[in-house]
Order: sequence, then structure tokens, then C-alpha cells
Amino acid sequence: MLLVPGAVGLWLVTGGRALAPATARVAALVAACVGGAVAVWASVTRPDVDRAWIPSLGVRWHLDIDGISAPLVVLTAVIGVLVVVHAWVEQPWLDEAKSTPDGTGRISERGSAATYLGCLLLVVTGALAVFAARDALLFFIAFEVVLVPMWVLIGRYGDPHSAAKRADASARFILYTAVGSTLMLVGILVLVTRTGTAALDELPSAAAGLDIGTQTLAAVLLTLGLAVKVPVFPLHTWLPAAHTTAPTAGSVLLAAVLLKLGTYGLVRLPIASVPDGFARIAPVLAVAGVVGIIWGGLICLVERDLKRLIAFSSVAHMGFVVLGLASGTELGLQAALIGNIAHGIVSALLFVVVGGLKHRWGSVDLDVIRPALREVAPRLGFALVLGLAAALGLPGLAVFWGEFLALVGAWSAAEHTGLLRACVVVAAVGAALAAAYALRVARIVWVGDAVPEAELASARAATPDTRGAELAVLSVLGVATVALGLVPMIVLSVTADAAAALLGGSR
Amino acid sequence: MSPLTLASTLVGLPALASVVTLALRRTPRTAAAIASLVAVVSLVVALVGLVVAPTSDEASSILGDLYAVGGLDLSLQLGTGPATAAVAAVVALVACAVLVFTQWYLADDDRLAEFAATVSLFTAAMMLVVHARDLVLTLIGWEVMGWCSYLLIGHWSRKESARRAAYKAFLVTRVADIGFVLGIVGLVAGAGSTGLDAVVAFWSGTAADCADSATQVVGACAAPEPWLRSLLVSLVVIGVLGKSAQIPFQDWLPDAMEGPTPASALIHAATMVAAGTVVLAQLFDVLVVADGARWLLGVATAITMVGAAVLALGQSDLKRLLAWSTVSQVAIMLSALATAPADVGPDPGLFHLWSHAIFKSLLFLTIGWLSVVAGSTLASRLRGSGNAHQLARVGWLFGLLALAGAPFVVGGLSKEHVIVTAYEGAVGAGGPGVIVLAALLVTVVLTAAYAMRAHLVVDAPDPLPEASAAARMPSAPVLVALAVLTVLTVVGGLVMITGLFELERASVVWMLLTTLLIVIGGGLAWLARGSGDPRDAFVRTARQRELADRGLGVDTAYRALVARPVLGLARVVAFLDREVVDGYVRGAAASAGIAGWLTARGHRREAASGGVALVAVGLLVAAGTAVLTWR
Repeated sequence: MLLVPGAVGLWLVTGGRALAPATARVAALVAACVGGAVAVWASVTRPDVDRAWIPSLGVRWHLDIDGISAPLVVLTAVIGVLVVVHAWVEQPWLDEAKSTPDGTGRISERGSAATYLGCLLLVVTGALAVFAARDALLFFIAFEVVLVPMWVLIGRYGDPHSAAKRADASARFILYTAVGSTLMLVGILVLVTRTGTAALDELPSAAAGLDIGTQTLAAVLLTLGLAVKVPVFPLHTWLPAAHTTAPTAGSVLLAAVLLKLGTYGLVRLPIASVPDGFARIAPVLAVAGVVGIIWGGLICLVERDLKRLIAFSSVAHMGFVVLGLASGTELGLQAALIGNIAHGIVSALLFVVVGGLKHRWGSVDLDVIRPALREVAPRLGFALVLGLAAALGLPGLAVFWGEFLALVGAWSAAEHTGLLRACVVVAAVGAALAAAYALRVARIVWVGDAVPEAELASARAATPDTRGAELAVLSVLGVATVALGLVPMIVLSVTADAAAALLGGSR
Repeated sequence: MSPLTLASTLVGLPALASVVTLALRRTPRTAAAIASLVAVVSLVVALVGLVVAPTSDEASSILGDLYAVGGLDLSLQLGTGPATAAVAAVVALVACAVLVFTQWYLADDDRLAEFAATVSLFTAAMMLVVHARDLVLTLIGWEVMGWCSYLLIGHWSRKESARRAAYKAFLVTRVADIGFVLGIVGLVAGAGSTGLDAVVAFWSGTAADCADSATQVVGACAAPEPWLRSLLVSLVVIGVLGKSAQIPFQDWLPDAMEGPTPASALIHAATMVAAGTVVLAQLFDVLVVADGARWLLGVATAITMVGAAVLALGQSDLKRLLAWSTVSQVAIMLSALATAPADVGPDPGLFHLWSHAIFKSLLFLTIGWLSVVAGSTLASRLRGSGNAHQLARVGWLFGLLALAGAPFVVGGLSKEHVIVTAYEGAVGAGGPGVIVLAALLVTVVLTAAYAMRAHLVVDAPDPLPEASAAARMPSAPVLVALAVLTVLTVVGGLVMITGLFELERASVVWMLLTTLLIVIGGGLAWLARGSGDPRDAFVRTARQRELADRGLGVDTAYRALVARPVLGLARVVAFLDREVVDGYVRGAAASAGIAGWLTARGHRREAASGGVALVAVGLLVAAGTAVLTWR
């Protein structure tokens, strides 16, 4: 599961850099497919790999998949295949050459196709390792493995129009998340040294004996570190920049995989290991979550860059997930898990569409008047509207369940009831804001005046409708959006036992 | 077929049809034909459902497994009962008529298939709300309807006015839905189950035993606190007021007239606007003990029904007249729920829903036809358009008679029951009965007046240009659909004797009184007819007319009170995000840079040893990256 994409990814980055793009693509696709298939198989059969790794530190190479990580593993595997497929649509390693008139000679400056694909694979590998890791230090190492290839993706293959922007966004991304990781590492070390074990399975029982001060300290450090990744307001400012600059596949990976690392970590480390400490800071987290919902929603009402807008809507959606986590109820936890998956699918869908638009138009400034998508590119328009409808929490589509259950969970919380209910009210207002900004986008981009017959051909040429690989990627994501909305039980039933065990076992 | 199979068929069929129709969008006519065919099949199924409907209490059964999510029962049940079957039948009927009409009305539209698919999905969502015995399913149907209304109103998206109307409709209802969602969240969380029966049992204080208190999330199985119950039901009521276009959310509905006429017929007659009545009827046992919510509902509907009737009288566009009449009529339905004592039950309101669905769809489809003949829906252009065809004239006349509440036609009978219900609520203790009763009587006069006006305009003896009328005859199925609706408008009241709705006897005294009021209202309009439109006698100046057409300028109020402050706040937040929240990030980067530079200088002065130089280089690297960020 990890070996194949990891090895191929490494090989592509190091040895295979000179590989022709076509060969590299096929190799990467095969690797992603094999890795994905094994990952799916693993999440069904749940093999348990447990070897001593660094015995002197008690660190073990312990991989296992349970109900909480299984949906995420599947999501990551599928997204991994999709982003590689997307390399047939958008070829970031060529963009610079295309944008300079004489630019054939500059391809090498931009990096090779093989490096790009290798980085994609490495990110996916790292994420899979995080979801499977059962050892706190292994978790941390896998967590860090993801960062560097992502940095390469943003810095090297990002927005071809501005090198400064790329540098800014990638540096911001790596420094911000590295600071978060450091905090998390300190938190993990506090836990590991005090309890004497690094195994995630044993940490809860071992940590139960700690005094409340230490528990709180560990919870604060871990939560703060992971909150950067989620991201929770007010630690979110790296996200819009990174999303805007990253190539489409990078945005998809960021939204669908990297953000999930944060919430997954929150479930795995503070909530599972130091529940009492977490309960003390939960109200703060809940408030930060709902502020994020409102904050992101409001910015989306006036934001001009469509990619930034979708990024801010991510902040708002993760606010619901955080609210569910902070509620401390089993229902809230379940809501957070399904909300996580749903956001992964829907934001991936939106980023593929919006990234495609940016690729076609060169920019996605909403103030520029363009022919309406509904008139010139109906299929792409349909995908956009589906994503927007899901993003505004329309029932029957994926995001609804996470939002609704998070609200119910937070409403019925046993502790801090008054505060959490106030948060629920604010979050519900945020849901109305989501409708406002989603339809704002629809009104600007999707619908518009009829295009006169004479200009129709040129408008269609400027905005070709989606087809081929892009259409396939969009279809998979669209079908997943609808399926998860209609049958949420496919995720809820998988996570149910694990969620119950997590909260029940630790109390 | 068991009633339950029928229920799930009624929900599933249109949903399936919408997918198939959308898939066939390259051949719009075939797609629309398939959608209509499925609608006819659903109508048959619904009629079978009428026959096999359980005659007594609501039989609710479990569909699929009982799910539990983290201590919350997610039962996802559908159910049916006599009143449910009747409402489902009328929804199927209207959907069928609308689809048949659409095939003729939008025959040349390049998005006919999308339209038909949305209508089918809309119907499925309404059927889900009607049959839901689970609040989450209700919420799903409720929101999907909102989304479909957005698509239908904005169908002609090449027009800016249609785009704006669709946006406005969705946003206004969505804002009201904040209340709806919160109310449902609270109700569900309190009961620990999303099942309607469990919620009603818990919140109406009839939870008999504490046996299943283990499933209750809040823990205590004592009777719920009255203030919390009132608050939560009031929140649901706010959502209903939004969807049903009651004050203060009323203004989206007249603007929604930008949608094609069949869409208006669907939204107004049987689905979206009426859904609130269905939901509150399902929650009736809780509503009846939540006094705060009843007052809220009663007062809002009382104001709305009178205000909307006045505005209807002043409209210069007959389609908007019908829109305002819907607002007023839905207020009448909801007022029945607000005032009904516990022993009367929600059925008078549902009965009015049934009759309103029939006559309002008839009126809308007729005006759709007349507008094709006249080329506009303006009253001044529609003068004499009834001369196009005898069926149009008759259908319009009977629709208006039912609207005005003339005795024995369908709308009259149901309005009698609402009035009697309000009277019983008024003489009984508590509740907003008196206010509602007074408003109802005033509304009867006003409704008769504007119905008479609409009749006088369309039936004016002005000749039509011959060629246009003949060239724009609808197809035969459309005529059949209109004829069926006309007949049902006359005899639809017979549903009373089937016992589907639990109704008490109407009183003769009230019937005589309302007939008198109708005669007064209609007579006033007739006397004021002058040479043309009776409106001119009531709304004299151009300024008043404009005020009426713009719904008293509520749109401006929405913008000034909600839209502009929110956008202003959004700009402030965007500024804060850029300059303050991100500021400390850049500040950190900058200060790291400065510190690095200072340290480096300091070390240079004291001729650093190798180790310190290494540190300095490290700091410089850190500073360099920081400066990179800062830029």
C-alpha cells in the first residue's frame, strides 16, 4: 500500500527526472492505481503490521486501519488516482513554456513532469501512512513527509504568472505548518515521556493516570499544532494563498487530503489520548470553529478571486467539523468524520472545476465579465453548480449530513451546554451565509445573458467544455457527492463502532 | 400494494424520472414526454393510495432498517394516512397538469428537458415532505424544494430579472430556514430521535414512561420545559413563514413570477408554499401546546392575509395578483393551524391546502394560456382575453369563484371550515383566535373584491385580434387537464364526504354571513368598475400604483436592513483578515528577520568563533525564509 506509490514517487523525483512526461504519467498512474487498490483492500481486510523500528526509543513501525481511518484511507486512495489522472488535463510542467512566446527552452527551469508526478505520489503516500500509523512518532514522521513534496508542488508548479507569489505561498505554507508541527511534536513528546509509550492504542489508558495539568498542557499543544493544519480560525491565513497558487491537483490534494490530516490528528491525539484535557479547551475550540464559519462565509461574500473564495469556504466547512469535534459527543464525532469525507470530495470537485476555469481563462477574477458557463460549457457548469449546491449544505448531497449532525451533536452536548448551543445558533447563520456566497458565484459564473450566435463559436473556443480525463475526474467526484448524500450510512456505519469505542473507552 | 409501498413509490418515481429526463436532455421533447408519462403514472398510484389509505389513524411503518448514529435514532421512516393520501393525490394531480402544460407552453425552449427534470425532482421532494415521518427527511425534502424553486424561477437565466428573483427567493427562504434548522435540531436533540412520532410524543409531554430514557441524549425524561418547547416550535414556524412567503418574508414570492408560468403553478399550488402547512400539521400536537408559537403564527398570518389581499387588489399585473392571492390564501391555511383547538386537529388547514391546490393551479395554467394569447400578463393587455376560448373563460371564472370562497365550490367549503375553526379557537381559551377571525372576515371581503376585478378584466367584451387566438390554441392534453381541474374546482369539495379529512360540520350561520361578505366585496368591485379596471377606483395615483406593484417597497427594506449591513460586515472582515489576522504572521516573519539581522551584526563585531558563525548563518537562513514570507 505504501511501498508502491512511495517507491515510484521517490524514483520519479530522484532517478527518473529525465523521463518523458508520457512514460512518467503512465508509471505514476499505475503506481497510484496499485497503491490505491491495495489501500482499499487494506481498509476492508484491516491487516496489522507491527515491527520494532527504533527499539531504543520504543518506537514501533505499527500500521493498522480502524473504522476512523478506513474512510479516509479510501478517500486518499481515490483522490490519489484522480490527481494523477488529472495530469492528462493540466500539465503544470509545461505552463511556463506556453506562457512565454519563445519559451521552448525554459521547460527545464520549471521542473520535469516526473518530479511533479513523483511529488503527487509522495504526498499521497505520506497521507496514507499518517492514516495508518499507530505509533505517535511514526504518525509525526509521516505527517512531516507530506510537507516537502507539497512545498515543491506549490513553489515550483504553482501559478505560472507570478514567481513571487509562488515563493510567498509556498514559504508561508511550509513555515506555518512547520510551526504547527513543532508544537505538535512537543505535545507528543510530553505525552510519550510522561507515559512511557508511543503506541496510540496504549496512550489513552496510560495517559489517564496523568494529572489534569499535564493533560491540559498536552491537549493545548497538540490541538494548537493540529489546528494550523485544519485550519482553525485564526490560524488559517496560509490556506488561501496556498490554494490560489497551487496547481489544480495540488489544490485538490490540499483540500481533500492535507486538511484531513489535521482533523484526523485531532481525533487521534488529543481527543483519544487526553480527553479530560481536551474537554477543558473544547469550548475555545468550538468558538474558534464557529467564528471560522462566519468569518469564512463573510469573506466569501466579497472575495474577488474564485480560488481564494473556495479556499475560504473550506475554512467555513472545517468550522463545522471542528464544532462537531468540540461537542464531545459521539454524535458530534461521527458528524466530524463524515463532514471530513464530504468536504474532501466536494472541495476536490470544486477545485477541479475552478482550477480548470483558471487554466482556461488565465485568472478567475469574478469582476471580469465572461460568457456564462451555462451558455457555453453546460457540462462544466453542471459540475460547478453541483459542487456549489453541495457546498451550501443542500440535503441529498454529501456536506449536509456532517453539518446537520454536528449541529445536533453540539446542541445535545452534556458539558458547556449554553455556550455550545449559542455556537449552534451562530453556525446555523453561517449556513445561510454559505447559501449567499454559493449562489453569488452561481449568479456570476454560471448564469448570464444569452451569447449572440455570432460570438458563440469564439466563446466556446475560449471556454471549451469539459471532456476526456477531466470529465472522468469530475464524474467520479460528482457521483461520490450524490452517493454520500443519499446513503450516508456507507461512512457512518464504518465509523460508528470506532467512534463509540474511542469516546467510551477513554471515559 | 400496501400504503407504504405506495408512499415510497410516490417519492421514488418522480426522483427517478428527473434523472432519466436529465439524461435525455439532448432530445427535449422525448424527455418532457417521459416526465409527463411518469407523472400520470404517479397520479394513478396516488389515486390507488386514496382508495387503500388507512381510514383511521395514521399508519406509520418503518422503511428499511432503523439506524442509530451516536445515540441518535435516525429512523428515516415514511408513512401515510388518510389526510396524507389526499394531499399526495392533489400534489400528483397538479404535477401532472403542470408537466402536460409545460410541454405545450415551453415547446420551443431549448432547456425544456432541464425544466421537466426539475419539476419532477420538485414533486419528489414535496412527496417526501408529505410522507415523511421523520424530521430529517422533512428537512431534506424542504431544502431540495428550495433548491428546485431556485432553478425553476431562474429558468430563463438569460434575463437579469429572473436571475435576481431566483437568487432572492432562495436567500430569503434560506434565511428563514436558519430558524427551521435550529428548531428541528432542538426538537430532535431533545427527543433523541429524528422519528416524528418520538419527537411529537416527547415534546407534547405525553412520553408515557421513562423506559427508553437511555436513548435520550439530554438525559432527563421529565416533561419538556414549556418555554423551550415554545421557542423551538417558534423557530420552526419562522422557517415555515419564510417558505410560505408570510410576513416578514413575503416579498420573494411575487418576484418569483419571473419564472415560467407552469413553475409558478407548481410552486404556488401544491408544493413549496404549501409545504409549511404540511409540516406544521405533522407537528400539530406539539404546536397546539406551544402557545408562543401559536401566537407568532396567528399574528403573522392575520397581518399577511389582509395585507396581501390589499396588495392583490392594487397590482397592475394579473400574474402578480395571483401571487399575492397565494400569499393571502396560504395565510388562511396556516391560520387554521394556529387557532385550531386540540380536538379539532390540523385537518381544516389541510383541507384548504387541498382545495387551494386545485383552484390555484387552474388559475395559473389558465393565465398562462391567456398570456400566450395576449402576449403579456399585464391587466391592461389581458383585457378581454377570455374571449379566446370558452374553456378559458369558464375555468378562470370558476377558479375565481373558488378563490373568493363562494359557497359550495371547493374553495368556499374549505374556507368555511377555516372560519369555523378560528371561531372555535376564539371562543375557546388561549390562542390568537380572535385576531385571526377578524382578519379572516376582512380578507373574505377583500378577496371577493379582487376576484371580481380579475374576472371583470379578463371577461371584458373587448374583441381580440382573431388570428392570434386561433393560432395559439393549446394542445388537446392541455385542454383535458384544464377541464379536469375546472370540474374538480366545482365538485372537489365532495372529498369531505369521503372522510379523508376529519372535519366538523360547517355552520349555516357562518355560511350566510360569509356569503353576505362576499357579495359586499364583489359588489363593491363591480360598482367601481367604471369604464375599465375597477382597480382605478381604489388605487388612484400613479405613485400608489407603483407602491402596490413594488409590494410596499419591502425589497428596498431587505436590501437596506439585511443585505447592505451584511456586505459591509463582510468587507470589514475581509480587511481584518488581510491586515490583522495575517498581520501577526507577517509581523512574526519580520521580527524574526530583524532579530536575525541584529544577532548577525552583533556576532560580527565580536569576531565570532566558528560555532557562533554557524549559528549566525542558521539565523540568517531563518531570516531569509522569513523575509521571503513577509514579502
